[in-house]
Amino acid sequence: MLRSVLYNRYTITFGTIALLAMVWNVYVMVNDDGIVAGRVVASDGSPVENATVVLSEKTLLVTSPRDKTTTDADGRFKFSGHTVYHVYLEAYKNGVGRAPQKDYHLYFRGQNLNLSESLQIEKTQ
Amino acid sequence: MHRYPRWPIHLMLSFISTLMLIPFVWVLKTSLTGENIFTYPPSILPENPHLFYYVDVWYSIPFFRYLINSVIVSAIVVAANIVLNAMAGYSLSREFAGKKIIIVLFLSCMMVPFQVTIIPAYLITKELGLLNTYLGMALPLCSTIVCIFVFKSSFDAVPKSLIDAARIDGLSDLRIIFRVLVPLSQSAIATNIILAFIWSWNNFLWPLVIIRDQAMQTLPLGLSRFLTVVEDTTGALYAFCIMVLLPGLIIFLLAQKQFIAGLTRGAAKG
Repeated sequence: MLRSVLYNRYTITFGTIALLAMVWNVYVMVNDDGIVAGRVVASDGSPVENATVVLSEKTLLVTSPRDKTTTDADGRFKFSGHTVYHVYLEAYKNGVGRAPQKDYHLYFRGQNLNLSESLQIEKTQ
Repeated sequence: MHRYPRWPIHLMLSFISTLMLIPFVWVLKTSLTGENIFTYPPSILPENPHLFYYVDVWYSIPFFRYLINSVIVSAIVVAANIVLNAMAGYSLSREFAGKKIIIVLFLSCMMVPFQVTIIPAYLITKELGLLNTYLGMALPLCSTIVCIFVFKSSFDAVPKSLIDAARIDGLSDLRIIFRVLVPLSQSAIATNIILAFIWSWNNFLWPLVIIRDQAMQTLPLGLSRFLTVVEDTTGALYAFCIMVLLPGLIIFLLAQKQFIAGLTRGAAKG
């Protein structure tokens, strides 16, 4: 009887869905520190210190700024504790230039994100 | 005797099936790419597919809350349908005075659209104190005439001697239904489950009329709210449609064999 219940297609289907949901939720719990880290460089590739980086949340309707930070001597920045799922980053430094705005899609709120490409500041005219 | 080749029939059926599937595939493709439906030339395979529209839908509205509401209402409807329709189908499979008139009345009720009865249905639900509740949403769908006749035809196929033997053994009518007849009517049960689930899952008008709180809304109402809030997001809209369709599709695929058997039972003699 137990065998027929376990090998029933309803048990297998809904059991698999429940298992996948559990695994996904565990993955989310482990990776939702809300860290967004990256680097800001100039057009020649050198790091830009004290550049301002703004993190915005982009929804289907609006884009709203959520946090702001500045880069260190190595051009690196880090946000933590964010709860957005669609990240919009812009970087600028007065007198140097502005990086084109970039958006990054995440799979869940607060997903950790390490930018693979640096934000490149270009001189404003 | 000359046997005709079957491949032209299979080819034609495959072609018609493909035509029927095109809209569904289009919706699925657009939910993965977000491309404009008027793009020319249209591409069959999705270019640069991603799942981010599904993420947008999940966070734009309280999708999980609406999903739970739909599941609860559908569960009530399915359970009530099986119990009530089995009892009604059993009574119609017995002989009693006025049976033909009752059957004609049932069939004539099928001709009346739900929109005509929505005002008295609302007043009754209000008097029962079931406005803005799960039971209130499920009430009009707790029994459907089509499913009653599915059970009736299934019970008609059971030999009368079996029922008589059960009665001699001392079983009451209720126990005959649920201990003898229902276990022999798996196809009818599957048909009831699928039809009741699909009708309750896709029900829009009745929940729209009786629900006051946004937290009590079901998925079709959520889709309507999504449309009013977000006007031009084809990808997200189609992703929402896929997410609403998926549970019904899974239920149907799991029970399709019994569903088709339940519908075609009695279609062929012998």
